[in-house]
Amino acid sequence: SFINADFNIFRYHVAVMCLENIMERVIVSMQDPDMGMKMRNQRLLITVIPHAMTGRDIVDWLIQKYTITEEEALHIGNFLVKYGYIYPLKEPRNLCLKQDETPYRFQTPYYWTSTRWPASELDYAIYLAKKNIRKQGELIEYEKECYNALHKRINHTWDFVVMQAREQLRASKQRRKADRIVLECQEQAYWLINRPPPGVMDILEQGPDRRNVANTRVQLVSGQMLAIFVKYCEQYQDHDPIMQGCLPSNPWITDDIMYWNMNSETVTMPTKLRVERWSFSFMELLNDPLGRKELLTYLEKEFSAENLCFWQACEEVRHGEASKIAAKVDEVYKQFLAPGASRWVNIDSKTMEKTLEGIKHPHRFVLDDAQMHIYFLMKKDSYPRYLKSELYKNLLAKAIVPQETKKSVFPFMRRQRHSSPSPALVTQTAEDNGKAKPSAAKANAGTASQI
Amino acid sequence: MPVDWGADMGKDECKTMLDALNKVTACYRHLVSALGSTSDSQNLREELKKTRKKAQELAVANRTKLTALLKDKSISNDDRAEYERLWVLFTSSMEILEVDMKRSLEIGQSFPLKVPTRHFIQTGMTGSTTTVAARAMSVQNMKYEADASIDTADLKDLETEIAQVDQMMEEMEMKVQVAPWAVEAKQEAGAELKSTVSVGNSSVGVISVCEEEPKEGGEGEAGLMKVFAGIIFTAVLLIAGILGYLVINL
Repeated sequence: SFINADFNIFRYHVAVMCLENIMERVIVSMQDPDMGMKMRNQRLLITVIPHAMTGRDIVDWLIQKYTITEEEALHIGNFLVKYGYIYPLKEPRNLCLKQDETPYRFQTPYYWTSTRWPASELDYAIYLAKKNIRKQGELIEYEKECYNALHKRINHTWDFVVMQAREQLRASKQRRKADRIVLECQEQAYWLINRPPPGVMDILEQGPDRRNVANTRVQLVSGQMLAIFVKYCEQYQDHDPIMQGCLPSNPWITDDIMYWNMNSETVTMPTKLRVERWSFSFMELLNDPLGRKELLTYLEKEFSAENLCFWQACEEVRHGEASKIAAKVDEVYKQFLAPGASRWVNIDSKTMEKTLEGIKHPHRFVLDDAQMHIYFLMKKDSYPRYLKSELYKNLLAKAIVPQETKKSVFPFMRRQRHSSPSPALVTQTAEDNGKAKPSAAKANAGTASQI
Repeated sequence: MPVDWGADMGKDECKTMLDALNKVTACYRHLVSALGSTSDSQNLREELKKTRKKAQELAVANRTKLTALLKDKSISNDDRAEYERLWVLFTSSMEILEVDMKRSLEIGQSFPLKVPTRHFIQTGMTGSTTTVAARAMSVQNMKYEADASIDTADLKDLETEIAQVDQMMEEMEMKVQVAPWAVEAKQEAGAELKSTVSVGNSSVGVISVCEEEPKEGGEGEAGLMKVFAGIIFTAVLLIAGILGYLVINL
């Protein structure tokens, strides 16, 4: 019916906008100076253009940042290329992410695909006119056809097209060579997506068939991206204190800090929920100090404990003080990487070579490649075996399920709940009494420690 | 039939002003495409502000002139057709300017300058845009006077200016009755190729290398090849000339 059609178009727009927002956010987080993408230089004949990255780096970054599988990372990476946020440098028409040394570059925000700013015919005409000038009349067949069609369709403003094309080229000539090359690549990438050549799938599908698209491509796409999120929510639902409540009781409500005590790092017997969480993902296990201890015990039995120790040592280098980095890296080398080291870790020769080179000029991230290698080794190999091991199963069986604190029958047996006075009130009374400010501050500190 | 010098001068003046507006529009678009990237900087924001203000001045001047000319009932049909053509050129320029202003607002808001860690997109562009801005402003060198708060302060101005431009375009549509589809362009398809200004990387009298797309900067390499070929050609000519001179004189 008519209303259904409108609603489908609305859903299409919402799905596309969600997708655009998600992708924009991924791109922006790739720019982070510390945790972002690794950039390389693109060398042309005599020009060097910075900010290139390989397909492999992109996939690896996505895997690490969002803790997803290789398949999922490849999937997301492909979207980034197909929607024009990243463009390939070698084969511009091949809009897919290859997980190898193929170079890519980020697209400038002005040329990001957005339903808010659809590409207009006027813009396309100007682009073709510019290309015509640059190629001295040698446009590709389908571009020639588009050019002629546009010349007919927007003939009334064709003089403007010619004028603007010339002026835009003159403006670009003001930039230096390397930037001009990038500008051309950017524009070409934009139009390859917004006006794809015949035979290439139009990812935007602008046109009267939006109703069909709403039920297929875009919903599928946003569905797959959101499925990851939904799976996460379902898995963690039982562990969410707001959704399921927390045992023995919520400290913020009952003023009883048993919950925190039972889940602290140094507890002898962990809670069942906590041990269950270790089976959700390898990161969960590693992030919990108790989990790490258990894993270490297991690995010691398997004689591969050096992997976890190495990983931990790398973490300390990454997150530790800058002044201690060189010393720490040296320690790591002596203990784990040097030939004949006491706790030698098994890394593939290429990574080992690269790491040993990098150690000569140590910095915070010099051990990243090796650490990732060991991380994935443990994740694929030791982690699944640990989850199936007797050690883990015994712990899970013995783990505590806290009892919900029952309200005692006798009111005087219940733990008294008291609300601490607001610090603002304390200061007010102190001022009223004409006391000096320092003592009011002390009172505040005292109140804070009571809470 | 007496020549209407006044109308001719009006037309020429109009064309000059339109050319100026066209130039500034092209430069503005170029600057907006650098927003949010590694070429973005406080200077770029100031360049955008100045270029935008210049564009608006030219827009108002053009509109006043053209509406005055179009309102004149005593002009000939040919003149009228010409003014309508110029009017369409003007409105197209304004269309592009309006969209670019709105986009610069959006991108400017998404990528503020004064944050602890800037996450500007690493696009590979590292040079400055100052020569483009200088071209727009028709000056030799740009002078930069703005302070650090330009990105937020200017965005507020930009919002107001966008509203003004929207209003101006609405008024134009109401008051000036020009049917765009009735206008015929003077230029034919491919007219841009007859431009006398060289806009490619080619130098004089050179073999042009035709490539499908800039493969790994093939365009740059093609340009370089053209330069080398030009040098070799000139050298050969020189040697031939010298040999010829020697042959004649010996």
